[in-house]
Amino acid sequence: MSISFQLVHAKPNQVTTIVFSWMLFAVGLGLYFYTSQKRHQDNPEDRIMPTVTQMFHGMSDASTKAAEDDDSTLPANASLRQRFFASMLWKDTLATSRRFIYSILLLIPAVLLGLHMGLFPYVGVFFLRFILFFDKIVALSLLPILFIVFGIDELSKIMLIVIGVTPTIILDTFNLTKGVPSEQVVKACTLGASDFDVAYRVVMRQIMPRVLNSIRLNLKAVMLFLFAGEMIASTDGLAYRIALLRRHMGMDVIIPYVLWVALLLFLVDLAMRVANRKLHPWFQEA
Amino acid sequence: MALIEIQNLSVAYGAPSRPVLTDIDVTVEEGEFVCVLGQTGCGKSTLLKMILGAESPAGGRILIDGVEHKQPDRTRGYVPQKYSLFPDKTVLDNITFGPEVSEFNMFTRFTPRFVRRRREIRDEAMRYIHRIGLHERDARKYPYQLSGGMQQRVAIAQALATHPRILLMDEAFSALDPGTRKDMQRLIRQLWRDSGVTVLFVTHNTQEALYLGSRVIVLAKESPDAGAQVAMDLSVPEPCHEHQIPMLVHHLEHASGSARAPEIPVFATA
Repeated sequence: MSISFQLVHAKPNQVTTIVFSWMLFAVGLGLYFYTSQKRHQDNPEDRIMPTVTQMFHGMSDASTKAAEDDDSTLPANASLRQRFFASMLWKDTLATSRRFIYSILLLIPAVLLGLHMGLFPYVGVFFLRFILFFDKIVALSLLPILFIVFGIDELSKIMLIVIGVTPTIILDTFNLTKGVPSEQVVKACTLGASDFDVAYRVVMRQIMPRVLNSIRLNLKAVMLFLFAGEMIASTDGLAYRIALLRRHMGMDVIIPYVLWVALLLFLVDLAMRVANRKLHPWFQEA
Repeated sequence: MALIEIQNLSVAYGAPSRPVLTDIDVTVEEGEFVCVLGQTGCGKSTLLKMILGAESPAGGRILIDGVEHKQPDRTRGYVPQKYSLFPDKTVLDNITFGPEVSEFNMFTRFTPRFVRRRREIRDEAMRYIHRIGLHERDARKYPYQLSGGMQQRVAIAQALATHPRILLMDEAFSALDPGTRKDMQRLIRQLWRDSGVTVLFVTHNTQEALYLGSRVIVLAKESPDAGAQVAMDLSVPEPCHEHQIPMLVHHLEHASGSARAPEIPVFATA
């Protein structure tokens, strides 16, 4: 008889957990800087894998100087603060954030539509088939059509995001609404609730935390469509900058930009998660 | 006029349609405590859903006070076995929900009268909270913080807060442990006596039906593919002694197994 030790029951202690969870970060960073240093020894002009100093310089330029294609001028004695608000990084972030916020705001009607489709059978039969069809259209394949119809300005980029993400959100809200036990609706009606009360005071409040989670999961998709739009047709924005700098092989700025975008998205996600927990203390599911 | 009149009700589900209930004729008077008893799957919950108006019958009709109600409304309160409370509302808000939505709509909610009236509604809800045996501090708890028994207590208070004439309870205590269940039975019996509400209580537990009901209706099927019918309709004499229950349980369980009604001398058949 052998005593078998099954790994499914293993319990890593706190130290092991910390070491293991940061291991890949350490390996990734180590490999990068090792290779980067090697390449710079061979060729001090290497642009593919910039060193930390290069990236720092690239970013401090990006966050204090205006972009080359920016026509606005600052007085020579402008303060650091003024320079930052006129800088490439700040203006790009602002442009991308604006589009991002518009897109998120446009998800609110999507949530309401999904709720009404799930709750009111007539609304459901009217929209469901069409949205199921619409959902299958590859949004990026519509991009040329959007540029032709809406022009190459903000509207077509926001429409791309709306077309790409709203069907998912509508259908997800629809399913969440359908998932509310029928007892809840019947109970509300026996207590004298009107259609409005049932929709907004019973069902919507219940599904809200799950809807927010669903939007959180779809943030990636929002960003994907936003970046696709910016890279193809834009004159500002974080993705436009990344696409532009590719031509100059400006890796010293591209890499920090990519990390900056990741950080921003992480912060948005974190804020939504915290808000979700604070707004819905009764919600019992991770 | 009888409060609930079920006339020739029949229900069938699915395709090809399978009968669930056939030719149910029952009349319930105001103030009765009717227990609907039957085995699992005999259609007793379906009967309750029909009275509730959540589903519509294939044939026959149900009159509440002489009027057909095809949708759930304020005349009939409802306490299901699960999902009986709104998970996003506190105990107090769950109880005040009914009076608030039935007296105010989305516009009148913004009037000073609402603010005044809400205070009264809250005071009344607090009285309910005491009556069902909860503490004042429980008022601000969310349903997930309460035990199953406490949740059902709140659900009963919530249903009674709008003063319905009929209270429909669907296996309301079936998920509770025996001790809690006993307490709940005492509570609902007490509330029934105090408020004079007409209760329709669906259960598969014979003992519970006999303890609670002033009247027990047994639903049973004659054969597996026939719809259930009223196999027995008994009025229970007021003091139903606990020591009689085991013997009666035996008789009734025999009855709900087959549709034949055996003679039980203790009861007067209604």
